[in-house]
Amino acid sequence: MIGKILRKPQALIGIAMMLTVFAVMIFAPAFAPNDPGKVDIMQKFAEPCKQYPLGTDDMGRCITSRLICGARVSMSIALPTIGAIAVISVLLAAVCSYIGGIVDKLFVIVSNIFMALPPFLVAMTLVGLFESKALSIVISIVVAMWVWNAQVVRTYVLREKSKPYIITCRMSGCSELRIILRHIIPNIFPHLLVLYSTGLSGVIIMISSYAFLGLGLETGTAEWGAMLVNANKLIFSHPELIVYPGLCILFAAAGFNLFGEALRDICDPREG
Amino acid sequence: MIKRILSRLGVLAVVLFGVTVLTFFYTSLSPVDAAQALAVRRYTRPTEDQVTQVRQELGLDRPLAEQYTGWISKAVRGDFGNSYNTGKPIIDELSASMIPTLKLAAMALLFTALLSIPLGVLSAARKGGLAGKCIYLFGIVCMSVPNYWIGFMLMIVFAVNIPLFAIMGAESLKDFILPSLAVAIFTSASNIRVFRSSLLDGYNSDFVMYARSRGISERKIAVMVSRYALPPLVTLLGQSFGFTIAGSAMIEFVFSIPGVGSMLVTALSSRDTVTVNACVLVIAVIFVAVNFLAEVINVILNPKEQTKERAYDR
Repeated sequence: MIGKILRKPQALIGIAMMLTVFAVMIFAPAFAPNDPGKVDIMQKFAEPCKQYPLGTDDMGRCITSRLICGARVSMSIALPTIGAIAVISVLLAAVCSYIGGIVDKLFVIVSNIFMALPPFLVAMTLVGLFESKALSIVISIVVAMWVWNAQVVRTYVLREKSKPYIITCRMSGCSELRIILRHIIPNIFPHLLVLYSTGLSGVIIMISSYAFLGLGLETGTAEWGAMLVNANKLIFSHPELIVYPGLCILFAAAGFNLFGEALRDICDPREG
Repeated sequence: MIKRILSRLGVLAVVLFGVTVLTFFYTSLSPVDAAQALAVRRYTRPTEDQVTQVRQELGLDRPLAEQYTGWISKAVRGDFGNSYNTGKPIIDELSASMIPTLKLAAMALLFTALLSIPLGVLSAARKGGLAGKCIYLFGIVCMSVPNYWIGFMLMIVFAVNIPLFAIMGAESLKDFILPSLAVAIFTSASNIRVFRSSLLDGYNSDFVMYARSRGISERKIAVMVSRYALPPLVTLLGQSFGFTIAGSAMIEFVFSIPGVGSMLVTALSSRDTVTVNACVLVIAVIFVAVNFLAEVINVILNPKEQTKERAYDR
């Protein structure tokens, strides 16, 4: 499996991009040349120079530093979100498969109801649920997305469960719990990685949309979506202020998408 | 076939009922106190009594179940009450703002289909070739950016640098071209992949080999395969219509379209919970209805019950 990943150029590029994003997230303050929040009206719209590699915005804030710190803001919300979604969806799918019967049927009905609301709608309604703004974003996205992911994981589990080797396991006396934990979950793990890797890029985009709409984060936070909405009125004079944050979102999200899609090709060679 | 559609209708009724409960539940989960917010707007610095009075006036002091039944019995008749903000009936504002958003979503749906179907076919036919690789790259890039940023880019190119389109406004259909194209580019990025893999799946299946060995013409086989491959795409297209409406706030902001997305965001930030409820319910009902329509189309396309395995795939 790892050998196959290493032989796939898309996967390698994806991994390199992911690692870059993680590195920027962890070492953001060290990479940033200036304080991202420092307003200096005298320096507004400064040309790119040594001190401000990409220039400054309409409030004289260093664009480079804001972009770099934006990675930290986005990723520090996106990672716990996707983590929580992963735990909930795998757990639910496993429980459905373990108990089966009426519980599984009930889950299908309930999830159909939850899936009748588009995720972004739910997330928007729920934002502002808690005192902590970051926590509300995490919880609202988790509430909006869990059911879509749980549904997919349940499908994977059921498909895996219908394979002949599971019958062999059962004949050799494996308990149902052991089949799920030791056979099904490890076997669908690459599929899960695809799901959550591409899911993470979706969450990154969703977070930027929140900031763009001014829901959720504190005003003035160095976040890509917030930078975009701020640059909206400058589309004629300084369109580059709109281009940069979008490219950052693209870089961060594309890394996870590239890796996820490459992994999907490896898991399902038939479709490649 | 009729029987299958009817059984889906039964499910639909349950889902719709659940949606109304969920909508109400989600907004009441929020710690936002609508009465407090309205009292502040009315009296600037309201006393405890004034807040209580407003709360009674809005009926927010009654138990939740009672509030729900009161709300839903009116909502089914199209009466969503009056906005806390403006005091005017919500239904008027909602129906006015629904029109631009529906136009946007419909046009986006059209563009999405026009992009996903040919590009999906092309990438299936030329897999491994240059065209296939280009489409792959296009897909990855376009699914990795927010659709409103694509909107900004289109705007910078086609409205600022080459002034082909107006930068704002929602008057003529022409004003909707750029925003719906932005939505369509984002949506079709993932659709292309799904359509491509179901096409390849179709071409690799047994019935194609059987048809070829019987000497059925390639054109007829192509029709058979596309009938086999379309259902997942139809499902996705149906879903994307609802997603466009639900996520329309951003693209409406970029292109200054007075649609339901911006109405929802205004209502959310001014704690106008009745308006939020109404918007969410209407969007959800549209979403459910369009998804149902997509299912009906799929039943018509493939009248035979699908096998278990393929049903799981969806």
